[in-house]
Amino acid sequence: MLDQYKSGDSLVLEEVLDPQLSIQLYCMGFLPGETIRIEKIAPFGDPFIISVEDSFVSIRRADAKKIKVKLLSI
Amino acid sequence: MIESNFKNIKSLKEVDRVRVVLVGNPNSGKSSLFNSLTGLNQRVGNFPGVTVEKRAGSFRVNKNLKAEVIDLPGTYSLSPRSEDEQVTFDYLSDKSRNDLAEITVVIADASNLKRNMLLASQLIDLEIPVILVLNMMDIVQRNKQSIDIKGIEKELGIPVVPMTARLGKGVDVLKERIGNFEYNLPKKFVEDHESKDGLENTVHRFEKIKKLVDKNLSGEKQTRTAKVTRRIDNILIHPVWGYLIFLFILFLMFQAIFSWSNLPMDWIENGFLVFGQWLGEVLPQGVLSDLIVDGVLAGLGGIIIFIPQITLLFAFIAILEDTGYLARVSYLTDALLKRFGLNGRSIIPLLGGAACAVPAIMSARTISNKKERLLTIFVTPLISCSARIPVYTLLIALIIPAEKQLWSFNLQGIVMMGLYLLGFIAAIATSFAMKYWVKSDERSHFIMELPIYRKPRWKNVGFTIYNKVKLFLVEAGRIIIAISIVLWVLSSYGPGDQMAAIDKKYEQVEDFEGKSTQIATEKLEVSYAGHLGKAIEPAIKPLGFDWKIGIAIVTSFAAREVFVGTMATLYSVGDDEKTLSIKEKMEKARNPTTGEKVYTKATGYSLLIFYAFALQCMATVAIVVKETGGWKWPLIQLLYMGLLAYVSSFIVFQFFS
Repeated sequence: MLDQYKSGDSLVLEEVLDPQLSIQLYCMGFLPGETIRIEKIAPFGDPFIISVEDSFVSIRRADAKKIKVKLLSI
Repeated sequence: MIESNFKNIKSLKEVDRVRVVLVGNPNSGKSSLFNSLTGLNQRVGNFPGVTVEKRAGSFRVNKNLKAEVIDLPGTYSLSPRSEDEQVTFDYLSDKSRNDLAEITVVIADASNLKRNMLLASQLIDLEIPVILVLNMMDIVQRNKQSIDIKGIEKELGIPVVPMTARLGKGVDVLKERIGNFEYNLPKKFVEDHESKDGLENTVHRFEKIKKLVDKNLSGEKQTRTAKVTRRIDNILIHPVWGYLIFLFILFLMFQAIFSWSNLPMDWIENGFLVFGQWLGEVLPQGVLSDLIVDGVLAGLGGIIIFIPQITLLFAFIAILEDTGYLARVSYLTDALLKRFGLNGRSIIPLLGGAACAVPAIMSARTISNKKERLLTIFVTPLISCSARIPVYTLLIALIIPAEKQLWSFNLQGIVMMGLYLLGFIAAIATSFAMKYWVKSDERSHFIMELPIYRKPRWKNVGFTIYNKVKLFLVEAGRIIIAISIVLWVLSSYGPGDQMAAIDKKYEQVEDFEGKSTQIATEKLEVSYAGHLGKAIEPAIKPLGFDWKIGIAIVTSFAAREVFVGTMATLYSVGDDEKTLSIKEKMEKARNPTTGEKVYTKATGYSLLIFYAFALQCMATVAIVVKETGGWKWPLIQLLYMGLLAYVSSFIVFQFFS
């Protein structure tokens, strides 16, 4: 899950496990198969800033726990 | 459908009016386009039934065709998640509106094409006439990319216009395309049978968009603007520096608001004094002249004087929002506000509340979680708004000498800052308590786009300030003129023949210094206003307020700044030379029985606290009724804030006296 990774990691989005969350993220360009990046994590671990291409979006740790990702293998 | 939106008209050459509907993602430059199309031909209103801000305007397409424009709230898709987006969705899917030919112009940020194309593709599939504007072409160029406009046009089957709305480039081309518009139903972007539910549809749509964009966009992958934004973010949302910078910006903002506005405020104050004196001389003596000079002008002067401060505050907020910084502030504060039952997005209403609670409460619409939104609406009026500024300024000047210092800081300024801080603390403390009281099983999200940084678009900033100040002036001005007139009548006339009796009593007395003031004071006491104030005096006496303050509290329920206007009117009656400012008049006020100053330290601080907490604003009550869909919350809010004000003022008064 996304919350296990650290700032600067590039990841492949696999699945969003919450239907309400997924439609919101999809509409902002965060789709399965896309490469996303953890840009920043605020002090005390919440919230996150994630990016896909040139879109920056902030999400809470609670929501990051529902985003299934894998580390991008180079 | 063609029938509903074009009323069987195939081409716009057959009509002289058209409606242009602007839609787009947030931060796509929709406002810039709206402003360049309409100029000052725009008005801000509300969508029927809801309080989402609706901007409408008009412009001339060509010499035969006039257009009215509607600017719909920004949305990422046609799957609405907040009430703002719901408005856009409802408007677009309403097929019953067929009074006018209608074209939907969808604005896409070309520097972020893939994501922005989602909405455009959904609009095409609604089978309505659509023109696609690819905005921010300057950024595309700077990123060393290029877009095949003709290629996209051909594949989508709709007109595509490249644009840099910020610089006004491409706006004329858009007008041309609207003028020549001919509606041919394009083929659907995604056929209905291709996918079942919304999620699958979105995924499928993006697959197609990706192909489209890959084919028509060429150039570098890693873009410069994103790099610049990352670099700026490293400083502005740094775990340590980020917070310090935010506090520093806040500090600068309030310092600037108070120091820069001093001079224009002096001009306005003196201008009104001179104007009133002159008017008093040229107008024929009589009731009408008194009404205009002592009633209307005095009241109006009391509100116009703080336009400089409001303008500055709106200006700062507009600039911070336009550059993209305000979204970062939400990111920085979410973790903190979450603990108090709020959301990072609440910071925008809370900051805006420092200008005026009414637009601030409206901006809480972007908070999708109902409980967080309610809490934000509930506590926003506790933030000291600009209507409190004149009350604070007047009272502080009255009870604290300007030269008084504390640790080499100006004490007046410190008390002012303290009042703002107090409001903020009260707001979050209240929210914290309510968090446990209001129940909700809705999950809370904080999904918010952080736009790339850009230079403020001064035109947008200018229009925002213009619209907000105008709205404020018209709304508040109307109430204040009405109340000034009522007040003047109430304080100039009284029941029975008590007034005449006073005249008679002094007829025989020889002239002495201050005779006219003495008469006026006695008359005011027996006027209708005097009776009203006296009636509530027992209730407010424990707070250190006399009946004159009582009148002001009653009248300023309309709006806080009326307090100053009321004081001006109440103390104008009897100032024959009209040479004293309100402050000087209030300073001279003495308790007629004891001869002590009315505005002592204790009374002053008590009044300050009262105005910091009490919900003395009809407009706020009205907006909360609308926003929460009923009277329950505004009444609870009114009662709660009133009680908080009463108890706090009581404690403060007892402490200082």
